[in-house]
Amino acid sequence: MKPKIAIFDLTDCEGCEVQVLNSKFVDRVLAGVEFTHFRLGQRVNRWEEFDVAFIEGAAITSHELELVKKIRESSKFVVALGSCACFGGIAAINNFIGVNEAKKYVYGENADKVETLYIKPLPEIIKVDFMIRGCPIVPEDFDRLVSDLLAGRIPREHTRPVCMDCKSKGNPCFLLENVECAGPVTYGGCGAPCPSAGMPCDGCRGPLEEPQMNAELELLKKIASKDDIIRLFRKFAPMAPQFREVWGGER
Amino acid sequence: MIIYDEYVTQIEGHGRVCFDIKDGKVEVRLEILEGSRLFESLLRGRRADEVPQMSSRICGVCPVPHNLAAVQALENGMGIEVSEQTKMLRRLMISSQIIVSHALHLYVLAAADYLGVKGVSELYAKFPEAVKRCLRIRSVGNRGIEIVGGRAVHPVNSIPGGFAKLPLKKDLEKLAKDYEAILNDCVETFNLFAGLKYPEFERVTEYLAIDDGKHFPAYSGRLITNRGLNVEAKEYRKHITEVFKPYSTSKFCLIKGHGFHVGAIARINLFKERLNPVAKELLKNSPIKFPSDNPFHNNLAQTLEIVHYAEEAIKIAEELSATLKDEERPKQRKGGTGVGVVEAPRGTLIHEYTVDEKGVVKEANLIIPTGMNTTNIEEDLYTLLTANIDKPKEHLKRLAEMLFRAYDPCLSCSTH
Repeated sequence: MKPKIAIFDLTDCEGCEVQVLNSKFVDRVLAGVEFTHFRLGQRVNRWEEFDVAFIEGAAITSHELELVKKIRESSKFVVALGSCACFGGIAAINNFIGVNEAKKYVYGENADKVETLYIKPLPEIIKVDFMIRGCPIVPEDFDRLVSDLLAGRIPREHTRPVCMDCKSKGNPCFLLENVECAGPVTYGGCGAPCPSAGMPCDGCRGPLEEPQMNAELELLKKIASKDDIIRLFRKFAPMAPQFREVWGGER
Repeated sequence: MIIYDEYVTQIEGHGRVCFDIKDGKVEVRLEILEGSRLFESLLRGRRADEVPQMSSRICGVCPVPHNLAAVQALENGMGIEVSEQTKMLRRLMISSQIIVSHALHLYVLAAADYLGVKGVSELYAKFPEAVKRCLRIRSVGNRGIEIVGGRAVHPVNSIPGGFAKLPLKKDLEKLAKDYEAILNDCVETFNLFAGLKYPEFERVTEYLAIDDGKHFPAYSGRLITNRGLNVEAKEYRKHITEVFKPYSTSKFCLIKGHGFHVGAIARINLFKERLNPVAKELLKNSPIKFPSDNPFHNNLAQTLEIVHYAEEAIKIAEELSATLKDEERPKQRKGGTGVGVVEAPRGTLIHEYTVDEKGVVKEANLIIPTGMNTTNIEEDLYTLLTANIDKPKEHLKRLAEMLFRAYDPCLSCSTH
């Protein structure tokens, strides 16, 4: 029996699902598992017990809050796919602006007719068994998880910061050049595409398990304004516990 | 009105077609139910150098156009004029993006409608060569975005004035060769879709795309339509209106009170004379002629574009692999409001920002291709269902969803 896999997308850009298609999809995934529920990829979907359910995106409506609870009840193993699921994602910036204010700006007098909730990361709504971080995820993390699960292994976490990826690419250090960078406190394993393309790390994979936030902030305060530091951590993983507390989590 | 519980499958985002027949008359509405991420709000207060990266997050299927419409709009607001080289690199990114996105739509989403399979797993089981072809095309297209933009999904290094880092000449040279190697796959994609049977349907409408006076639409230009609209992009608010509908989180767009169509079919209908040689030759011998008023033919138009943009990418990558040079990035000269306009896979995309003297965004407005198409889709659905009114409901539902899918809608984008 092939393992039954479900991929659900909540409110998001679907970029992590695109990265799933950019993974070793055909070689391994398509041949080794059965997609029981995958709205983006097939017309006929069944709701039954899933061996693994991937949840991409943020729960932003009450319908989605109900849905994730239902998915949890039906699944043996739940994976938060990408930083919207893991950490609220970019849309959670509006948590700090005020959701009602944000809605008024976009919908004006019709703001009340559109439901948008304060965004909570998925692990604060249901029990999550594993997180694949990133905005977007890297296909390698998806491949690694799937092959681990197919082999009956519990996948291991990356334990290194983005700096390790960055150094291995031979990039110069942004912090040494007085440019604010979230690399030292950010969960590595991405291959440091941003610093390699001339841009500092913006923390899209969220914090390491035990990030040295105090040391990072001390360093940043010497080279950047308060607003810039808040902007750095309030971007793609704004509701990650250690990031949202930067400057007391103030608006 | 029949309200379906399930969202339409095999489209980007969450939406459904609801319809009913009362006293022999069709009622239909397109419900776009994607959650609102309120991008215009969250971009305010951000620095111009981070906005292009953040805007790209509107869509994971077509991040490049958002990235580039944002950077172009910011530059216009900040008084920055970029070099010809920068514009060429951006055209290379757009070409690669349209190829990648169209290949995804055609094979993974739309093909099932025509080949009698239930989805991508069955497609792979029955037509493994087609899936492999799709992946080959996507792999080179992704590489094209990555070489210039630093990453395929959500490019990282577009900033006002140009790029944080330029690609390597040898990577561009290899890219040109890689595109040469998949050109035949692109042609085969056209052949596959030229041989399909599309539902018979026609409705005359207005088609919109951008015109830079020279290229097949891609990066920047005036807004033009087949009914004589021809205006600067920054005038868009005078001509395109957005309407809120209580059953949709996406706004609906109108020109002069009616729907209009953007995307591959609009670009081909308007600018087929500017296609590159291989694409032009295919079109000449195509069993389906353009201009076409059958929205299902959008899928075939996409295949012509895959060929065209692959040829375009080869041209640009070859030229730049010889001429690429380091340039100084022009800096901000002023604050102000700027409009950026590019062609996304799904059609014309408009971003508008107001930036202060320090380069911080104060106001944002985004008009998305699928948002532009919404009214036209509803009008098409009405006409299609009316023409088939005596068919069983289940058949009508299938047909309606197929039409919706043929537009390659992107609902994450349209609601944003």
